[in-house]
Amino acid sequence: MEAMLVDCVHNSLRHFVYKNAIFMCERLCAEFPSEVNLQLLATSYLQNNQAYSAYHLLKGTQIAHSRYLFALSCFQMDLLNEAESALCPVNEPGAEIPNGAAGHYLLGLIYKYTDRRKNAAQQFKQSLTIDPLLWAAYEELCILGAAEEATSIFGETAALSIQKQYMQQLSASVSLNTYNEERNLTSTKNTSSEDYSPRQSKHTQSHGLKDISGNFHSHGLNCGVSNMSFYNTPSPVAAQLSGIAPPPLFRNFQPAVPNTNSLVTDSSPKSTVNSTLQAPRRKFVDEGKLRKISGRLFSDSGPRRSSRLSADSGANTNSSVATVSGNVSNGSKYLGGSKLSSLALRSVTLRKGHSWANENMDEGVRGEHFDDSRPNTASTTGSMVSSDTKSCDQEDETMSLGGTALNAQRITIGVSEILSLLRTLGEGCRLSYMYRCQEALDMYMKLPYKHYNTGWVLSQVGKAYFELIDYLEAEKAFRLARQASPYSLEGMDIYSTVLYHLKEDMKLSYLAQELISTDRLAPQSWCAMGNCYSLQKDHETALKNFLRAVQLNPRFAYAHTLCGHEYTTLEDFENGMKSYQNALRVDTRHYNAWYGLGMIYLRQEKLEFSEHHFRMAFRINPSSSVIMSYLGTALHALKRSEEALEIMDEAIVADRKNPLPMYQKANILVCLERLDEALEVLEELKEYAPSESSVYALMGRIYKRRNMHDKAMLHFGLALDMKPPATDVAAIKAAMEKLHVPDEIDESP
Amino acid sequence: MATESSESEEEGKIRGGNDKLNIDDDLREMGKNAAWSVSSCKPGNGVATLRDDNLETYWQSDGLQPHLINIQFQKKVKLQLVFVYVDFKLDESYTPSRISIRAGDGFHNLKEIKSVELVKPTGWVCLSLSGTDPRETFVNTFMLQIAILSNHLNGRDTHIRQIKVYGPRPNPIPRQPFQFTSAEFLTYSTLR
Repeated sequence: MEAMLVDCVHNSLRHFVYKNAIFMCERLCAEFPSEVNLQLLATSYLQNNQAYSAYHLLKGTQIAHSRYLFALSCFQMDLLNEAESALCPVNEPGAEIPNGAAGHYLLGLIYKYTDRRKNAAQQFKQSLTIDPLLWAAYEELCILGAAEEATSIFGETAALSIQKQYMQQLSASVSLNTYNEERNLTSTKNTSSEDYSPRQSKHTQSHGLKDISGNFHSHGLNCGVSNMSFYNTPSPVAAQLSGIAPPPLFRNFQPAVPNTNSLVTDSSPKSTVNSTLQAPRRKFVDEGKLRKISGRLFSDSGPRRSSRLSADSGANTNSSVATVSGNVSNGSKYLGGSKLSSLALRSVTLRKGHSWANENMDEGVRGEHFDDSRPNTASTTGSMVSSDTKSCDQEDETMSLGGTALNAQRITIGVSEILSLLRTLGEGCRLSYMYRCQEALDMYMKLPYKHYNTGWVLSQVGKAYFELIDYLEAEKAFRLARQASPYSLEGMDIYSTVLYHLKEDMKLSYLAQELISTDRLAPQSWCAMGNCYSLQKDHETALKNFLRAVQLNPRFAYAHTLCGHEYTTLEDFENGMKSYQNALRVDTRHYNAWYGLGMIYLRQEKLEFSEHHFRMAFRINPSSSVIMSYLGTALHALKRSEEALEIMDEAIVADRKNPLPMYQKANILVCLERLDEALEVLEELKEYAPSESSVYALMGRIYKRRNMHDKAMLHFGLALDMKPPATDVAAIKAAMEKLHVPDEIDESP
Repeated sequence: MATESSESEEEGKIRGGNDKLNIDDDLREMGKNAAWSVSSCKPGNGVATLRDDNLETYWQSDGLQPHLINIQFQKKVKLQLVFVYVDFKLDESYTPSRISIRAGDGFHNLKEIKSVELVKPTGWVCLSLSGTDPRETFVNTFMLQIAILSNHLNGRDTHIRQIKVYGPRPNPIPRQPFQFTSAEFLTYSTLR
């Protein structure tokens, strides 16, 4: 009965019928109370977004996987201390972190949110060494600014470690295969399940999943993790194949798992016999399967696979499943089940590392890289599944031994393909967070078109252009990103800011409306709405929207920064400073917040502070000419004009299209009485921005100083033609009247 | 400059008033940074009612004319417009008739800069502080004093429901001599 219940639960989880899963699981725990069952119940709760239930359930448990699930629930409930102590118990400093890569990743996030960045970086690095395919950890490292070059992370060592894992499984499967072959010959596809497992019930699904899971858990990290990872890879494929027949759990296991896991099915023929293996072998069975699966994944053994798949699918499945079920107790049925659900979840979750659902299910979350590459392979396997031959068995047998060698090769190829893709993406990501945007753009260009044309990459490209202040290109990139994935919210807050800069109020309001209708609870939508109001100068409403975004996700740094900007415009400097400081608390490398603080201090004439903050911003993003020009302004205000001029020159060189550093430079030169140089600079500037009244006004002032009254009048007149705001009109006219009077002392700096 | 519908000026006379306050973007309310005081008031109708954004509450003076409202800033500010909300229909003999606006550094050197006569005003009345010269668009001062010299129907005390003071927005980019007008400059002028 236990097995049946476990099966049922897994099935429900796989099909997202959480209510049923929770109900059945409660019966299971009531009838057979054990920690493993508790874990299953907790998993169901977590899937159903009831972290609090899982929390109370798992409080105090000691098994590694339980601790991981408990830590996850704590994290979702924002109880970071408890989460941390669960993952890394205080009185056992040497204890291993549960769940390998995923555990380290979770611990890294906890450290990051509690301000221990060095530890966080360490944890992320650890998780990457355990599982080089955990992209989310790499992305977090980039955000922290502590990422090493992608080539080193996704390089040789990574390749070797992934290959090793696969190889282990492959060798395991080889031994299984021989066994399987015998079995295959003897067993028929239609044997009932009774033969095998002790707890066997007639039910095809009664695979002591629980056992499997139990075993799995007990095996802990070693094979388990690798198995899991293996499993994960096929998962997307599996997810795609949802249409097929039932025996969900089999996936992991054996051949039977046909429908759910096409991949699994691949291996299944080989391992059909596995079912009879004893406990110790179970692991291997799984590995073998996994191996085959991965081999299949990367290979194009079409016919074999399809045959296998076909064999597995349909009627066969059930029987084979049944046969397999014997083993079940050991196997990774549980894994399979979990995988399926996790797979499905995976496919649904966004690229961001915060795909807790995934992690819930997997003991060792790998394959977080739901790259777009996955769907490709998935689709190929999918097509294979639809084949419909029957005689896979025979093929399988022959395949079994020869296959291993081929598998190994395929694994190598597959690994290198994945890693090369991740290398490019990783390097691009790292460079864009280091604000070396041009290099990042070049790196992204190297991607194959099919990858480039995806939401994530295009928004990254858009962000890079945004940092380069090339708003037109950024807008283009973001537009393509929206076409590629119209329901993704990643990077849309930056898109709204780009539209704000371009003053495109129609597009901006349309974007905001669309985002809100897509997801009312995402901070990005409210940021876009706020930007829309801000563009229309309705700063109070904009502020309300940004505060809402902050409420929805207090860990979203940009929302805090935008609040700060609105407070500053409303001249509420105290709150503005608080908002910027909140943003910095979330993300120290958020240079916009440093810039915002610098601006406030500049307005309040606290020049030392202002210079310090601009310098911090500059250190984070050394290629932004705007920051450089403000740094120069602050230095000039502090009377360090020589340094100011140097920075201005740097700024001019950094971005030829930015007229401001030149203007500021002219300003500084005027104050230093180097009027001729100032005039030169302004002449140049006139060419670039012919309708800028402040340029003419400044030139007029210089000519006035030089007593070249005609020229002064001319320029003042030109300045007035450009329709400056009222204060300037007053100032300019006053200057014109007093042309023949020496400059007053209280002229603005 | 603010726009108003029903205004006619004859030798400093202002008729009627506006229901709504229409202010240009480049002006902002400056009253928040000032210390407000009045020469006298009836209990319950004190100076706070002038700044509470509630047109139902009013300040009622309680002394000899001229009644004074003093607005003192911590530093010299540029001011352009003063808006006063008064309503003849509601207040009748309490409605101010002649108003004089003075500016200066403190109580000792106030000088009159504007004098108007209101004729049955109902709503927001705009008192512009600018001179005819474009150079004199703003009054740069530490202190502003609004003096009610006489009321309609020779009333002794006066009611004023709300007062707002407007000045130019400062340059969004600090420490710049002039503001930027062209798109190229504005795009690069701030980060967001």
